[in-house]
Amino acid sequence: MSTSISTEQSSPYAKFLHSLWVIAQFELVRLFATRRGLLTLFTFSVVWYFLLTKGVMAAANFIQQNTSAMPNALLNSAGLGTFLTWPVAEFSAYWTFSLYLFPIFSLLFSADQTASDRDRGSLRFLMLRSSRDCVFFGRFAGQMIIQSALVMVTLLSTLIVALTHNMESIAASLQCVLMIAANLILVLLPFTALMALLSAAVRSPLQAMILALLVLLILSSVFSSINYRWPMLEFLTYLIPGIHLNELRELPPTETLSLAYIPIFQTLFLLFVGRFVMAKGAL
Amino acid sequence: MSLIQCQGLSKRFADKTVLHDLCFELPASQPIALVGPNGAGKTTLFSILCGYIRPTSGNVRILGHKPGSAELFGRISALPQDAQLDPRFSICRQLMLFAQLQGFNKRAARQEAERVLSLMQLEDVIQQKPATLSHGMRKRVAIAQALIGNPELVLLDEPTAGLDPVNARNIRDIVHQHSDNTTFIISSHNLSELEQLCDTVLHLNNGHLQQQVDLTRTQDTNNPVSFLTIHMDNCPSDAFIQRVSALAGVNSVEPRQKNQFVISYQPINTSPLDQQLLMCIKDNQWEYRQLIKGKTLEEQLFASER
Repeated sequence: MSTSISTEQSSPYAKFLHSLWVIAQFELVRLFATRRGLLTLFTFSVVWYFLLTKGVMAAANFIQQNTSAMPNALLNSAGLGTFLTWPVAEFSAYWTFSLYLFPIFSLLFSADQTASDRDRGSLRFLMLRSSRDCVFFGRFAGQMIIQSALVMVTLLSTLIVALTHNMESIAASLQCVLMIAANLILVLLPFTALMALLSAAVRSPLQAMILALLVLLILSSVFSSINYRWPMLEFLTYLIPGIHLNELRELPPTETLSLAYIPIFQTLFLLFVGRFVMAKGAL
Repeated sequence: MSLIQCQGLSKRFADKTVLHDLCFELPASQPIALVGPNGAGKTTLFSILCGYIRPTSGNVRILGHKPGSAELFGRISALPQDAQLDPRFSICRQLMLFAQLQGFNKRAARQEAERVLSLMQLEDVIQQKPATLSHGMRKRVAIAQALIGNPELVLLDEPTAGLDPVNARNIRDIVHQHSDNTTFIISSHNLSELEQLCDTVLHLNNGHLQQQVDLTRTQDTNNPVSFLTIHMDNCPSDAFIQRVSALAGVNSVEPRQKNQFVISYQPINTSPLDQQLLMCIKDNQWEYRQLIKGKTLEEQLFASER
């Protein structure tokens, strides 16, 4: 060897983790050092700016003004009860919006985990140096790091807004930040795993996104029909990413993690299938 | 240990069998050529050896391991046909990624990227993106990535196709310089190039291994007949054939391409034929361009198809 190699003496497990980390890190480069990544980030920032200023802040003001004037029962009957689930108004609004928006962003962000590399042949260069598992799980991990960072950034901006309105809510707000972050990251796991699976099966991110929409719509419809005819097969609906979102939205903050098993199970299932697709596919 | 062992290797795509029951064994050695017409199965064989696709049946071992296994990472490398680098990242960033995956730390990875690019005389493009480079330069960058970490085996699929003569020669020089520590397997249609570089030739045709030729052996031990191939300049063909046929030991003189002749002879101890031939050329005031002991690679591979 012409140059020193740090992992030459390492165990296969350590080498796997090293390669996985190198690939995951490169996903960050993909987001922050490419024009397409920066454009995606800019679009996300613009959408989030309007959501924060026009959505979260307006909803928070509405909640603050009406919770004192209207009884909870009346708000619940108006379908606004979920806005009251979190102790800080801004986080109540944030929770409601982000629970549905972040999964959509997730489908967009993580659509190109391996698809265009497979089409271009770039994966062949990687496969000479790392396993398919390493690339598959490394890209998934990288996407989760990026999305977790975006969740934290948006939560911190909401925290600033909340503290600007009421500095005394700092303890409650920090608790909200931690609880919502944990819940959102769990929510995003199966969506990212779904895109990892679909990206491993197609040759363009657009195909992966279209397939994701079809899969989510068709599976929802098919499993609902199956569930209607054969209620004992209800468990199949738990394979659909996001199936628990409505239930999650209505839970009190302290109980939200009680549903964590659903996205964790979905993620493990999707990653298992995705790994199989990745391993069997020709490059 | 053998470099590559293939036993009963077959590959089928839908209803078409691309490789038929290939059996061969290659030792680590001087460069090895893989030749055959388009569609012969060369790229499919390369793809199996690299672990990009799986064989339908048969057994393949590279350095004692299955293709694509972790034990081979960094030990074998390739220039895959038609594979392109990611157009969104600089050459430097991508080569550094490959080097880091091979275990180099960041600083060493940067140095390795610079080293392999300098071998290809491409130091100046290190910060550029692949889209800004010409086809030939992109190919040279792809060859550069195959040399990262000095792997033991490098598979080059058509390395000089589409390159200008100077850069094609540069690639040949690099293969030659590195062939003591690295075994290159080169797929190409340029037989004269392979003849210059390689000692062993695998000839594939329609997915069958047609023959495995050792170019270092000019004399077939089972055949007492020897050959000389000569490329003449400004020489009357009939007169050449007539005069050379009269030399001691010559069986036949067959014209090939323009001014090229294959001389078949029985070696005799008293006067080696090459010396007799040069004397004959001098006496007749002819000029010759090239004299080859044995047959050209093209002649060895395709003589039966004439």
